[in-house]
Amino acid sequence: MTDQKDSQDKTHFGFEQVKVDEKQDKVADVFHSVASKYDIMNDLMSGGVHRIWKRLTIEQSGVRRGHKVLDIAGGTGDLTMRFSRLVGAEGQVVLADINDSMLKVGRDRLMDRGITGNVEFVQANAEALPFPDNTFDCITIAFGLRNVTFKEKALASMARVLKPGGKVMVLEFSKTNNPLLTKAYDLYSFSLLPKIGKLIAGDEESYRYLAESIRMHPDQETLKGMMEEAGLSQCKYQNMTGGIVALHTGIKP
Amino acid sequence: MDKKLLDILVCPVSKAPVEWNKETNELICRTSGLAYPIRDDIPVMLETEARTLTTDERLEK
Repeated sequence: MTDQKDSQDKTHFGFEQVKVDEKQDKVADVFHSVASKYDIMNDLMSGGVHRIWKRLTIEQSGVRRGHKVLDIAGGTGDLTMRFSRLVGAEGQVVLADINDSMLKVGRDRLMDRGITGNVEFVQANAEALPFPDNTFDCITIAFGLRNVTFKEKALASMARVLKPGGKVMVLEFSKTNNPLLTKAYDLYSFSLLPKIGKLIAGDEESYRYLAESIRMHPDQETLKGMMEEAGLSQCKYQNMTGGIVALHTGIKP
Repeated sequence: MDKKLLDILVCPVSKAPVEWNKETNELICRTSGLAYPIRDDIPVMLETEARTLTTDERLEK
């Protein structure tokens, strides 16, 4: 994958070419801007379907009582909330995000719902995770990998902190497999979506970035190959909603 | 600083365990010589946000 360096020191930020060391800051600006409206926007943009994608992810996680779970780019805590119930008092869920605005919204939301005790919050970069080798039973990154500058580094870092036999789950926008759906989806993403973003979150640019970054993200087979490259085995994926989203999983041997 | 969290945190650069400095409210790694801030009770484990320890601080204890 040409994730690393497309030409010299450039990478993509949506359809735009930016310097590699600028991408992280530009992505950060997007999420500082959308943090407070993140949850309502997810419901609006996906018609609530993101809840089904996340529920499927939880169901296939195999997480149970006593497990240690890492939710990377956990944002406002949708997955962490459910994992917290599954692992119980003897388990542990770590919600990690590179963006402090998102982490604070997530922490407040979880506290409001009385979810405390087995959840920890850490500001971390997926490319350099601050945990020892072989720590977690399950690692999830939902709608986060797309925004990471060096995806190979992030996948390798996840594989490192995963326990042998543990599972990595990548839930991310992917490539649609039906031409008609693709047409409708493109129309929606590039015409309607930025308008909704402008109306609700007062930020058209961030939602334009969202649509563009989805198109630049590696497709199903490419991402599967990248996970194998990172040392994971039994890598596979499942398309949801016609491939708008795919759930990739891999096991640490 | 939550002990359960401290137990599983390492320096993202050296991967060595970090210790909590109560006075400065930082997480210290003597191997990499970096100090990570804790903001709003959230450890900021980013190399870009870390402070480089002084020689005295590194040799302490």
